[in-house]
Amino acid sequence: MKSIKEHMMFILPLMAILLGMEFFLVFNRVTRNYEEKLKENYSILVVTSRPVRSSVIEKVDRRIVNVKSIKKEEIAKEIVDGLSQKGVEEILEAIPFFYTLNLSSYLNREEINKIAQKLLNYPVVKKVETFGESHRSKYNLFLFLKIIFWSFVSLMSMISIFLIVKQMEVWQMAHQERMKIMEIFGAPMMLRSGVLFRIAITDAVIATLLSVGFFIFLKYYWIPKSGIEFLIEKTDMLFGFLDVVVLLIVVLTIVVSAVFIVTLGNRESVE
Amino acid sequence: MAANVISASRLTLAYDNGRKEIIKNATFNIRRGEFIFITGPSGSGKSTLLKSFYGALRHTEGDLMVGGLDMGRISKGRLQELRAHLGIIFQDYKLINEWTVEKNVVLPLIIAGYGLDIQQTQAKKLLKHVKLSEQANMYPLELSGGEQQRVGVARALSKNPFLILADEPTGNLDEYSSNVIWDLMENACDQLGATVVVVTHRIPTIFNIPYRHLIIENRGIYEVH
Repeated sequence: MKSIKEHMMFILPLMAILLGMEFFLVFNRVTRNYEEKLKENYSILVVTSRPVRSSVIEKVDRRIVNVKSIKKEEIAKEIVDGLSQKGVEEILEAIPFFYTLNLSSYLNREEINKIAQKLLNYPVVKKVETFGESHRSKYNLFLFLKIIFWSFVSLMSMISIFLIVKQMEVWQMAHQERMKIMEIFGAPMMLRSGVLFRIAITDAVIATLLSVGFFIFLKYYWIPKSGIEFLIEKTDMLFGFLDVVVLLIVVLTIVVSAVFIVTLGNRESVE
Repeated sequence: MAANVISASRLTLAYDNGRKEIIKNATFNIRRGEFIFITGPSGSGKSTLLKSFYGALRHTEGDLMVGGLDMGRISKGRLQELRAHLGIIFQDYKLINEWTVEKNVVLPLIIAGYGLDIQQTQAKKLLKHVKLSEQANMYPLELSGGEQQRVGVARALSKNPFLILADEPTGNLDEYSSNVIWDLMENACDQLGATVVVVTHRIPTIFNIPYRHLIIENRGIYEVH
């Protein structure tokens, strides 16, 4: 019973880190997905006094992509109804040249203004309009939540690592006699600490399996029945095979580091 | 290897960063293949001296050579190597209670990375030698004190050490068990050619052979003739 309790004292903080880590990965994926969508919808409108090649506009900033010219006829379509051919030609003559362009990444307002300013520096550019402001507040909220979430996961991880190291110290105390005897007979640190590595790695694998099990349950059983449309649509973002590898690497790094911290802190007792 | 397995010159051992001196300016040699007693009253520094032989205590002054290695300058790696070639026997046995008798006996072989087959062969031979073949799969706490110390002796012999250090090996044993242990240690010296250094508060009466005898008195180490 005591042994189970001790293992739980180790596995639970590890699970807290793993769950926090996985939620963060999921949140990151959702944010990135949203960012991609925003990027696709977001465009800048450039008005020039004479025709400009798209490659010239793209050279203004490396983040400018997909420059498209808007046909004057399309712009004038609504206002030329009923006008004579000559009138239409005059209007088309008077209308400047319009181009839409996309950005390779979703930028903040300051960065967009910088790009707009760079475009305005060209004498032929008369006006630059930027859109997508309505998404900005939602995106900022996402970013804010991401920072809060990251801070929370970091804090939780720090507390968990502290608990893990403490539990490791308890095990080290429990196996101190054995380690001491092995030390007297010339065992190197890695061999002396073998018992700690064994316990830590076993518990790390158990914690990973439990965390993976929890997410598999969420993804395949709970979410489909939950009726939460947003989650049902995003199920594919919830958990992937690569996450298992990431979690395993993270957890093994933590436990191996914890063993090293504890054993190096209690090195050879030469008086 | 040199004629002297242990060689001390003006050796000073102390605790508390040199403030509490236990041994002061001691000069002595222990020759290869000899059986030697180091005696002294309780608290005289017998165990402290033995610790310095296997590098658990660094001397503060003088020189100490063990197996040709300068214990004042020995690296961690070399110290581990040296310890792997020593046989150490303790009054409190220092057995690993979670391991079977057999596994305890082959601890030095495990540390040296020997294969399981060699470990098993050696364990069988040694357990037969110390008359504990029947107890191979038992755990130390299931054995009597005398039996546990025989496991300790078997462990000390498992890698054919050139030097056996014994710290009050019969301190917790009755006369019969003590005699068995002394026999085993004498055999190790006579048959295996190992140097045996025994630290004890008094020499057992069964020893009528005139072994060399060093005594620790007033922080000095003197030879008894």
